[in-house]
Amino acid sequence: MDRKVAIAGFRMAAAPDLETTRERLVFELSKGLLDDLGIDRDAVDNFVLCSNDFLDGRTISHVFLGPPAGGYMKDQTKVEMDGLNAFIYASMGIISGQYDVTMVLAMSLTGSQVSPYLYFDYSLDPTYDRQLKLLNELSAAALEARSYLAANGYPEELLDAVAVQNLKNAAANPGQARRIEGVSREKVKGSPYYYEPLRELHCYPPTDGGCAMLLVSERKAEELTDKPVWLLGMGRSTDIYFIGDRDLSTSLSAAQAAQRAYAMAGIKDPAAELGFAEISSPFAHQEPLLAESMGLLEKGKAAAAYEAGDTAVDGGMPLNPSGGPLGGNPLCAAGLIRVAEAARQLRGEAGENQVKKADKALVHGQDGLCAQQSAVVILGT
Amino acid sequence: MEEIKDTFLHPVVPLDFQNNYRVGAYLQRYLDGFREKKILGAKCSQCGRVVVPPRKYCGACNLVMEEFVELPQEGTLENFTVGHVTLEKGQLNRADAPYVIGMVRLEGASNSLLAKLDVAPADVKTGMKVKAVWKDQVEGEYTDLDCFQPA
Repeated sequence: MDRKVAIAGFRMAAAPDLETTRERLVFELSKGLLDDLGIDRDAVDNFVLCSNDFLDGRTISHVFLGPPAGGYMKDQTKVEMDGLNAFIYASMGIISGQYDVTMVLAMSLTGSQVSPYLYFDYSLDPTYDRQLKLLNELSAAALEARSYLAANGYPEELLDAVAVQNLKNAAANPGQARRIEGVSREKVKGSPYYYEPLRELHCYPPTDGGCAMLLVSERKAEELTDKPVWLLGMGRSTDIYFIGDRDLSTSLSAAQAAQRAYAMAGIKDPAAELGFAEISSPFAHQEPLLAESMGLLEKGKAAAAYEAGDTAVDGGMPLNPSGGPLGGNPLCAAGLIRVAEAARQLRGEAGENQVKKADKALVHGQDGLCAQQSAVVILGT
Repeated sequence: MEEIKDTFLHPVVPLDFQNNYRVGAYLQRYLDGFREKKILGAKCSQCGRVVVPPRKYCGACNLVMEEFVELPQEGTLENFTVGHVTLEKGQLNRADAPYVIGMVRLEGASNSLLAKLDVAPADVKTGMKVKAVWKDQVEGEYTDLDCFQPA
């Protein structure tokens, strides 16, 4: 990269119901972040907002969210995908030399929404899948889960192990929306099935939330922060839409996006070089599936890795030490929150969930059914 | 400042979009095939892949697929899930009874077809042979192909 990009600061909010308006949430995240850094909106030369018109209930939703973010009379654009794509897009503006200071702000109030799963129905092919009414976000994830378990000979209990680890991490993270005290495999196994093999506690809870983050050039990083977190590499990939055409036991999009990010960051052996990963896995099976696809866990050895505690906070490859999307998954903000959680670790501010090797990390974000689209960034200190 | 209790306002949308989607020539052929209880796929002249339902372009070769082929009505259940909930207009509800959705690989097809399975959840197994079940009265609609059941 010709010019470096640093994360100067961030603010997050997540809850089942934030009991706030969209505008108030955006204002508080943005103003809070500017206050943290001791600057005002005049110091920001570009705003990248990330929201979704279906979730927001208004077209061109940033029309209403730009002003409370502080983005009026500024360069302002919107990304209507996962927040990690907004992060990448915002970074490109700094790498190109056009901007020095960019605010990325992603949000949705999916937790307090009456019909949280309707969003994905609108992503279905209207002339086919939407007509058949078989495919939805949950049934697609369940098919992916079974395909992954079957291809690797993993037992359904792997899902319980992943969920317990994530929910324990989430319970120790004050920023998470779903914090269950005393979570156990029995408790996870006792939650009702949605679509087999996925149970309620294997699936993300609809969440209200948002994340504001300030990205800056190297010159500005020196002024604004003592603990810059640097962007080292990024990559994206989009797979085919039709799930009947894909091998659901693996993720081609995550594999390709990660390879592109590794190449840019000069990473040869991700499992050895990376300290931990924050993965957008709204369903339990996706964490090991994506980790294997991205070379973080050895293929076919995920069940053993979870049993041995390798993926726990104090393990060799901690996955979602924040608790991940099973602890809270505000659509649009999800991937940007993963970045913020990784940055918290890299700055040594993750409290009870602090990992030991916090120098380089992978962050994954996704869109579409069964991670049709993946985005990956590598961050480092 | 005094605590203010927010009121929830339900959406008042003065516009009611009605989107009409043309299915296009390929899905039209597929649906026309249903009138004769036939399942059609499209074949790529370069890589030989057969996709069902048919679509115009082969993604791998980036070519127009010009050949339609009739597929057998039997296949293998590649993958399935037992649904215990329904999602109606984005709202999650418990299903009256568990039901099975499967991915069926018809013989000769290169991809899988998502379908309802008429089989008891306790009896469903990956790899089982299944066959298409049609409605008595076919009308050239997706619902003509009612489900698949064990062959």
